[in-house]
Amino acid sequence: MAKTYDYLFKLLLIGDSGVGKTCVLFRFSEDAFNTTFISTIGIDFKIRTIDLDNKKVKLQIWDTAGQERFRTITTAYYRGAMGIMLVYDVNNERSFENIKNWIRNIEENASADVEKMLLGNKCDLADRRQVSKQRGEQLAVEYGIKFMETSAKASINVEEAFYTLARDIKAKTEKKLKEASNPTKSGGHALRAPEISRKPPVWLARCSIL
Amino acid sequence: MSSSVEIESLKDENGKNIYTVLCTFCSSKILNPGSSTYVNIEVAVKLHRMQRKDEEEVEEEEEISDYWMVDDMFTFENIGFSNTVENLKYLICADCEIGPVGWHNLTDQKSYIALSRVKHD
Ligand SMILES: Nc1nc2c(ncn2[C@@H]2O[C@H](COP(=O)(O)OP(=O)(O)OP(=O)(O)O)[C@@H](O)[C@H]2O)c(=O)[nH]1
Ligand SMILES: [Mg+2]
Ligand SMILES: [Zn+2]
Repeated sequence: MAKTYDYLFKLLLIGDSGVGKTCVLFRFSEDAFNTTFISTIGIDFKIRTIDLDNKKVKLQIWDTAGQERFRTITTAYYRGAMGIMLVYDVNNERSFENIKNWIRNIEENASADVEKMLLGNKCDLADRRQVSKQRGEQLAVEYGIKFMETSAKASINVEEAFYTLARDIKAKTEKKLKEASNPTKSGGHALRAPEISRKPPVWLARCSIL
Repeated sequence: MSSSVEIESLKDENGKNIYTVLCTFCSSKILNPGSSTYVNIEVAVKLHRMQRKDEEEVEEEEEISDYWMVDDMFTFENIGFSNTVENLKYLICADCEIGPVGWHNLTDQKSYIALSRVKHD
């Protein structure tokens, strides 16, 4: 069958345990239709299709576990990731300080040009805040990445964050394609369709960790 | 839904789905028209009944044999995959997370959406 989309991006959520990664991706809420059967097994990933500037973009989004004892399994997810959401909890100083450790972890295990974004989650709990928005912004500037405060609970900026990350990966991919199709000089040549591997990824066969 | 007359009206001469496949509960788009193939699976896989969380859990399974088969998981518009149970991953709506609406076979990498657990529009 002909390819029905333009881009496929694999995205990951990482950060300390309890910052809200799973809630950012999954509902599991009281009003969810989710059966006990599915809740017990847990969800591994989601595939979502979004439209970015008239291009059809498929996102495959994975959750990871923040606990130390899962760390080696988590790094296995880094392979092939094109975008990573670094999540901390604005009410938890420690989770913010640990972002630098997560960044180091990414540098050691993920592809060098992986697109990153910083999320300060649980921004709905204003009275318990330990990390100001300004400090989040500053850290993001230091690393040269984008930043947003989110709330999985109040549905603030969650979708926007995924769109932003996807848009940045798309821009990077298109820039690379342009350079590849015109190696001597970057110019206005027609882009070739990106070669994205369509074979079932091997990491699908690994054990689940949730 | 299980009547063969109804199934005939949902697939074209090549067995492809004529209509968009949507979540029954929230209308999230699961498959575009023409992106899956009808199969009748003789050894029916048992699927737990879908129910809301606030309903009392019924330990009941349903035998379903009419499916839309999807060759490549990235054909899906929106879908959620459960963690692995034996050699399967159960499929759920990516938006409201109701499920299972089908399953994914890790051996042959094919996915199956139960006709009776989605709506066609
Ligand atoms: N107030 C508020 N609470 C949240 C929010 N997001 C998550 N939580 C709560 O934070 C707790 C932890 O959330 P999880 O999503 O399980 O955290 P996690 O990052 O997946 O943790 P690990 O799986 O252990 O790595 C839960 O009790 C959530 O209800 C949010 O945006 N606001
Ligand atoms: Mg989690
Ligand atoms: Zn739904």
